[in-house]
Amino acid sequence: MDFKLIILCLLFWSCGDQNKTVEKDPLLDSWEEVTKASEGTTVHFMMWQGSPVVNEYINNYVIPTLKKEHNIDLQIVSGQGPEIVQMVMGEKEAGVKNSQIDIVWINGETFFQLKKIEGLWGPFVQKLPNATYINFDDPHISIDFQQSIEGMESPWGMSQFALIYDSLEVPNPPRNLEALEQYIKAKPGTFTISNDFSGMSLLKSFLAELSGSPNGLDGPFDAEKYEVLSKKLWEYINRNKKYFWKEGVTFPKEHSKMDQMFASGELSISFGFSEGAIEEKVNRGLYPKSTRAYAWENGTVLNSNYIGIVHNAPNKAGALQVINFLISPEAQLTKADPNGMDANPVLDLQKLPEAWRKKFEELPKRKYGAELSELSKNAIQEPAPEYMIKLYDDFRTFVIEK
Amino acid sequence: MTISEPLSLKNKASNIGFIFFGLIGILPFVAAFVYALLYSFGLVGAANSGFTTEFWISTWQSGAFIKSLVYSTVVAGTSIFISVSIALWLTLKFRKELEHPILAFAMYLPLAIPGIVAAFFTFQLLAKAGFFSRIAYAFGWITEARQFPDLVNDPYAIGIIATFISIVTPFLLLLFLNVYKNERVDELAQLSQSLGANKQQTVWRVSLPVVLNKTWTLIGLYFIFLLGAYEVPLILGQESPQMLSVLIIREIKQYDLSRLSEGYVVAVIYTVIVTTAAVLLFSRKNDVKHEG
Amino acid sequence: MKANWKFFFLAALVILVVFPFAYLLLLSMASEWRFPELWPAYFGMRNWEQVVSSETGLISSFLVSTGISFSVATMSTFIGFFISRGIAYHPYKRTITLLTYFPYILAPVVFAACLSYFFLKLGLFGKPVGVFVAQFMVAFPYALIFFSSFWGEKTKSYEELVATLGGNQLQAFRKVLLPIAKNMLIICFFQTFLISWFEYGLTSIIGVGKVQTLTIKVFLFIKESNFYYGALSCCLLILPPVLLLYINKRYVFNKLI
Repeated sequence: MDFKLIILCLLFWSCGDQNKTVEKDPLLDSWEEVTKASEGTTVHFMMWQGSPVVNEYINNYVIPTLKKEHNIDLQIVSGQGPEIVQMVMGEKEAGVKNSQIDIVWINGETFFQLKKIEGLWGPFVQKLPNATYINFDDPHISIDFQQSIEGMESPWGMSQFALIYDSLEVPNPPRNLEALEQYIKAKPGTFTISNDFSGMSLLKSFLAELSGSPNGLDGPFDAEKYEVLSKKLWEYINRNKKYFWKEGVTFPKEHSKMDQMFASGELSISFGFSEGAIEEKVNRGLYPKSTRAYAWENGTVLNSNYIGIVHNAPNKAGALQVINFLISPEAQLTKADPNGMDANPVLDLQKLPEAWRKKFEELPKRKYGAELSELSKNAIQEPAPEYMIKLYDDFRTFVIEK
Repeated sequence: MTISEPLSLKNKASNIGFIFFGLIGILPFVAAFVYALLYSFGLVGAANSGFTTEFWISTWQSGAFIKSLVYSTVVAGTSIFISVSIALWLTLKFRKELEHPILAFAMYLPLAIPGIVAAFFTFQLLAKAGFFSRIAYAFGWITEARQFPDLVNDPYAIGIIATFISIVTPFLLLLFLNVYKNERVDELAQLSQSLGANKQQTVWRVSLPVVLNKTWTLIGLYFIFLLGAYEVPLILGQESPQMLSVLIIREIKQYDLSRLSEGYVVAVIYTVIVTTAAVLLFSRKNDVKHEG
Repeated sequence: MKANWKFFFLAALVILVVFPFAYLLLLSMASEWRFPELWPAYFGMRNWEQVVSSETGLISSFLVSTGISFSVATMSTFIGFFISRGIAYHPYKRTITLLTYFPYILAPVVFAACLSYFFLKLGLFGKPVGVFVAQFMVAFPYALIFFSSFWGEKTKSYEELVATLGGNQLQAFRKVLLPIAKNMLIICFFQTFLISWFEYGLTSIIGVGKVQTLTIKVFLFIKESNFYYGALSCCLLILPPVLLLYINKRYVFNKLI
């Protein structure tokens, strides 16, 4: 009897969460219905929390403003890329109807994997009132890692990958692989590649250069091409890694660590998205005022980052409302402030009402970082996601563990 | 001898107790192991498609697991060896002085520091832009951060070992002092000396064996803990080789969904190793005694 | 001469022990401390003030940690106490004790990774109650092992005495066993509290970053290279154990692990 009781309790306990009825699809509703349904709810947002400026923007602007204007509690959950995919997949395997999270900050390779396991809900983007300000004809917006977004994820920001250097210490930074080789031989120990998303993005630029043209990696994944090019790339890195940081015996796990080492002068070249993300760090005095950002000669990737709604999000109405807020002129303007998160808006200024366009145009210019418009002359498209996944694996197998 | 049973209620109560123990103490462990085992053979997991031994073979062939196992064993073993040596030396040399109230309190203080804080602190101290590096700079020994030697995320696991030692030594010291007192090692030592043994002999043949004999189960247990340590190597380790827990979690959380099973292979082997070690450690008569 | 050497050595030892506490406190009050400066450009209470005022969430983390650890400690101490009796008197005592060690010796993070499927299935993922259950699964065996030395011929004879005098089981516990065990109960409470308080691996996986205990916060700050807040959360993390030490050293010295 006791045993049965315990089992019963356990069953009751476990089912409690899954018995909630799934609310009806707000896609079928009008936007007023979405607004009504989202009021007073909580939305869980799983995002990368590795950058103080991003956290600052979310914690001190987005969360309080959403609360004030829409009465929505936005809860941040830390996690990125593979963690998001694993989370969604784990829930799928366990048959969880109401996810732990509602919206996720992703880019191409996560989008690809989430689509593969049917982990996203949508299409929803056209439903958002503020989507009218976005130019979906721009391939950097509507094509994510060579995949059409098809309304399954909403663009949130756009940025180009850039390398950064101290212009006083390195007057003439390397812009191609040959120059890099000479450079690190002359200044051993001052360059490395982080074993994370940023590092892999640099490797993509290298791979594109090895292909011989900025468009060399465009189109669907080409396994044969990858084999040939990556072989050259690993050969290049292994040949030179003894001149890397720590003689290439190890590589930093996270990009934030590279920032730290660039700040302390351990590294003389670093890199990052958001055109290198140097503005705030120079302002804070972390980086010297002589820090500059530049693109690789053959181009560095220019991409957008997106927000998606997971297929089993318990609060889809709230999710829509939050995403709509995040792409509102107001939120994008605050996000674009060079003294804040300093992120390029995804909105098309031509589509904005006059008043808003003015405000965007009146934003102060970056003092140290390069503007996207200059840098994008040397931009390449994000190659297909398989390149990224392969690079991750092979960088470990052929470089780190060698 | 059987226990008297004054009430019929008692049997029931103890049954509930055992069911509860089974549910919380044993079932999760078995469930976790079986799940990992099934996953490692591709029998569960959304990206898997049925029974296969390919993950076991590829894990074996990649060599990352063996490297990690050897690395973890060496790091944990070195840390334990050094910690035991330091703690024993302090016990033998300073046990009288350590009874002073200030010292007695100070000895306990390190126990308030968990691994994650210790690792963070080690990093702040030993990194190339850390505190020691700044001191070296101030003295003019180095002129740039990059000249400071590699002490964290380094190939010899210096940072990890230093942190492990700083965590384990205080505990062992207290343990040894306790045993020393409870087992009256002082009296034994005096006895052996009055029987004609010299100081050297007394230490090596009497004091050390008594103390170690009483504590080796706990030392072994600590070795197992360090073998599976996670936070410290995560913060202070390098990308390859990695300690076992770090390796397992990295593989279970990797991008390539079709290879998650390799992480579970390592998890299964690790679990088997650790449980075998525990069985060996505790199946000897030596019960862990606790003096409340 | 020899005594002198010993004195200096021990003084150095004390400094070595106190140094981490002082350094972390210093770092938590610092800001803009760039290499190669020996002293931070800013030193004061700014970081601590921000903890109270802004959205760092450290206060709520402190409360979440306290709540979870308190529940884990209470439950595992009491349930552990009663159930350890059954085990101690059981003919297969040794085998059962060995089994209790298994979940306890496994790296918690690996344990959690292999268990997360079941936690998802039970709807416990990403919830404080899930983290509580997970930590309980580690703290509970600890309590069992801790109390195993309490039960023996002595307690048995007490129980029999109570029975002979006409008392029932409940009275035996309330009037005799619990009072004898009081000290052990307190120690076990604090030690299981600390097991939970210091736990990172299990919490990070079962809590998926939603249940942000202090250890999780420390890691988040390390990840974003915000060392000042990292040090600050470290200070919050080591404050309770230091207090416990001050009250009674034995609360923190864990002879089992």
